[in-house]
Amino acid sequence: MPRLGDLERAVMNVLWDAEGALSVREVLDALPDELAYTTVMTVLDRLGGKEMVRRERDGRAFRYLPARSRDEATAEVLHAALDEAGGDRTSALVHFARSVDADEAAALRAALEEIERGRRT
Amino acid sequence: MTPVALGLIGLALALPVPALLARAQWPRRSPAAAIVMWQSLALAAILATSGAGLATALWLVTDDDPATWRIVAHVVVLGIGVMVWARFWWAAWRVWRDTQRRRRRHRELVDLLGEPHGLAPAVRILAEQTPVAYCIPRLRDSRVVLSSGALESLDDESVAAVLEHERAHVRTRHDLVLEAFNVLRRAYPRVLRTDAPLRQSQLLVELMADDAARRRTGEAPLARAIVALAGSRTPSGALGAGGDALVRLERLRDVDRPSWWATLLAAAVSTTVLVVPTVALAVPWITHALEVLAAR
Repeated sequence: MPRLGDLERAVMNVLWDAEGALSVREVLDALPDELAYTTVMTVLDRLGGKEMVRRERDGRAFRYLPARSRDEATAEVLHAALDEAGGDRTSALVHFARSVDADEAAALRAALEEIERGRRT
Repeated sequence: MTPVALGLIGLALALPVPALLARAQWPRRSPAAAIVMWQSLALAAILATSGAGLATALWLVTDDDPATWRIVAHVVVLGIGVMVWARFWWAAWRVWRDTQRRRRRHRELVDLLGEPHGLAPAVRILAEQTPVAYCIPRLRDSRVVLSSGALESLDDESVAAVLEHERAHVRTRHDLVLEAFNVLRRAYPRVLRTDAPLRQSQLLVELMADDAARRRTGEAPLARAIVALAGSRTPSGALGAGGDALVRLERLRDVDRPSWWATLLAAAVSTTVLVVPTVALAVPWITHALEVLAAR
């Protein structure tokens, strides 16, 4: 039995790769593992709680689709990381690719070369 | 005299002393001791400011006929003391709540998007070309996030160095250190506010994590990683100082070990700012206050 977090990720990947909204059965069939119908329901509910999935009524059942695309979600992660890196929320420890100017880049390369050549004492 | 003296000490510790120490190079030789020093300075500033407020309150209720300017001066000191305290707790609550909420969301997204990595259970690889490496520290289930772009631009040894660097952040809860300084910064009204303690401790925790990484992998892989992560373009601009990379690299090049005298010096500063005002001002004042209150 895979962990719940892994299941959530797998279900998200199914929804992201799908053309349109999927029923629970379709999600179930697309997953590699043998899972119970109710398990997939639970996972979809949890993803709804995290605002990752929304559902549309289709007759008497629901069809599920991602609340945001994979790219949008990735952008949100990067944005969260950036947020932590700058501004007032300076509490996190982010090593972001910072842009460096030409002088700084040259100084960095020079220092790296010295370190690679062997330690100066 | 006590409220004025304490008020002046509080002011000095709030602005000129941090500005002076921020320019010093020696704390970088012993980052852990330097962080303790910044914490002591912060605590001493808060104690002096609130001490000034308390002393002032006593003086105002015990003096029978105070001059107007002294009343004004003392009310100002009292006001600042009360304000700093109130803002401190308010900021502490807000920073804590915001950070928890933001990190929970951030980690949810990372767990949904990031592929687990064979290297370690907490590592997630994000499909993104921008080279990024960071950690999301929490009490349980911290995460270290690397972008696939970062993995591509690093060799195996450098990846190990980056992972060890991030794990050091998570292990020693550097986020809590920084959060405390963030709270402190917000506690002060804008005119008395300085970025130095937060800014310096940000650099110092990086240096501590670098020390952990170089113990594991040596200098060269870590240096390559720093350059690789520093050298590329930011996705959306708008990012703060990029000068830390050079400081960290020069430190890897020049400094052998954390030096004992920098540790001693930092410890001396820490002790001085905490002990001297307490012994010289606060203790006599408390004795005096007890006498005055007992006599009435």
